[in-house]
Amino acid sequence: MKLKKHITLTKAGIMESLQFRLGTFVMALGNILYLIVVYYLWKAIYASAGTDSVNGMTFSDTLIYLVLATALFNFMEMYTVWEMGRSIQSGKIVLELLKPMEYRSYLFWSNSGAFVTNFVFTFLPTFIAVALVTHGAIHMGLNLLFFLISVIIAISINYSINFIVGTICVYTESIWGINIMKQVIVLLLSGATIPLAFFPETFRKITYYLPFQSIYNAPLSILLNAHPEPKELLVTIGTQLIWAAVLMILSKLFWKVSLRQITVNGG
Amino acid sequence: MKKKGLGFYLRIYFKILAQDIKSKMSYRADFIISTIGMIFTNIAGFVSFWIMFRSFPSINGWGYYEMLFLYGFSLVAITPVQCLFDNNWSLRIAVYTGDFIKYCFRPINIFFYYQSEVFDIKGLGQLAFGIGTLIYSWNKIGLGFTPLILLKMIVFLITASLVMIAMQNAAAATCFWIMNSFYVLDLVTRFKDYAKYPVTIFSPVFRFIFTFLMPIAFIAYYPSLVILRPDEVPLLSWLSPLIGVVFFWLSYKFWMRGALKYNGTGS
Repeated sequence: MKLKKHITLTKAGIMESLQFRLGTFVMALGNILYLIVVYYLWKAIYASAGTDSVNGMTFSDTLIYLVLATALFNFMEMYTVWEMGRSIQSGKIVLELLKPMEYRSYLFWSNSGAFVTNFVFTFLPTFIAVALVTHGAIHMGLNLLFFLISVIIAISINYSINFIVGTICVYTESIWGINIMKQVIVLLLSGATIPLAFFPETFRKITYYLPFQSIYNAPLSILLNAHPEPKELLVTIGTQLIWAAVLMILSKLFWKVSLRQITVNGG
Repeated sequence: MKKKGLGFYLRIYFKILAQDIKSKMSYRADFIISTIGMIFTNIAGFVSFWIMFRSFPSINGWGYYEMLFLYGFSLVAITPVQCLFDNNWSLRIAVYTGDFIKYCFRPINIFFYYQSEVFDIKGLGQLAFGIGTLIYSWNKIGLGFTPLILLKMIVFLITASLVMIAMQNAAAATCFWIMNSFYVLDLVTRFKDYAKYPVTIFSPVFRFIFTFLMPIAFIAYYPSLVILRPDEVPLLSWLSPLIGVVFFWLSYKFWMRGALKYNGTGS
């Protein structure tokens, strides 16, 4: 059965990530402190602005957006670039290529266990906390379903971008530099650090032509919009689907070409 | 054992440093890419800062250029930790694999020997960014320039660096007691990014936490007050050089305590 081996990898991943409970605890602590900083910072910003709504977003909109962006980030970040880079440098990649599964999907599915644990232990609690604290600022309706669909597509886009960047490690032997560049670009242009609504007009238009906004901005704007126009919804999810397909094909092709370049020292 | 003088340690420091630079230069591509990555991080930092404060004239009584000053100040203050103490990041691995034992057999201070082994050149780019920002905001605010103010600036920048170094040392040293201390170090590193906001935006409880328990307020806020608001300097600002030294000393003691109790992995 094809699906069975995927599920096995997911299970192994869940067990592995449950092993490092202290790490999870410290990470959760860090997130809480981060959210506190974000809360007070934007509160001060809105207090100084003097108006309730800035660029069409109220304080609670901004807060929900940023908190859930962080929760999404924690849940989607998979350190693929590091894993690929290390495998290529150490030569472990040879063993992984021998596995009876395509490397790209092997890596994805062996990480999928962490998705499940992160979703249950970080994303869900954060989501519930935000929904309670903001007293129903999140509309509970069909938008949740569309949000879920959008997140699943976002995971695929995020993984393809990571895989492309990881493939660059075949050529560069540098992991830290490549990874930090990717992270900085994705976090800024996807609207994860500052909501895209705050960007200057032209800058924002440019970000809408790039794939990054499909990772964080698209799902979050679907979630926050209680009564979306069907057309708007279609455009957002359609754009995501197109990017997901394009990036998947690109990452597969790039990997195929690069595979010929790999040199393994000894092993 | 005869106590060794400062001259001896300086001479040794430059000898070890030269070796490190030589070995780094043999991975030229990695070095160049990492440097570009660092520049990217700084540019993205500026862009987010600009987007955020473009829409708001001031935060909590702090004007745009004053915020920029705090930002530049924090960038300069975290340069020493980036350049001189970067080896703290590898401490966890050295302890885990047992490589750390080699440092215990040298007739010089373990802490000194360990930290001197790595000098991170890419931190210098950050220094340049920081100094540029400081000079620019300095001009815009219209602060005067006297030898006294320059002296104050240097003293308080060193103070701020000491606090940052202390935080990182303490976080890195946790690896002598717990596995997987990466998360602790990562948490502290993430927090240096919040040092650039005035601590007055927080509620009293968190103001206390960020002043005494996780002293990020000493990385930019308290020391900068001496330069920016010379008429209303709180006592904590004047005390900050002393506090910086105390924090550094405590972290050194903590680090050494871990190092001295280390007894290898048995291989």
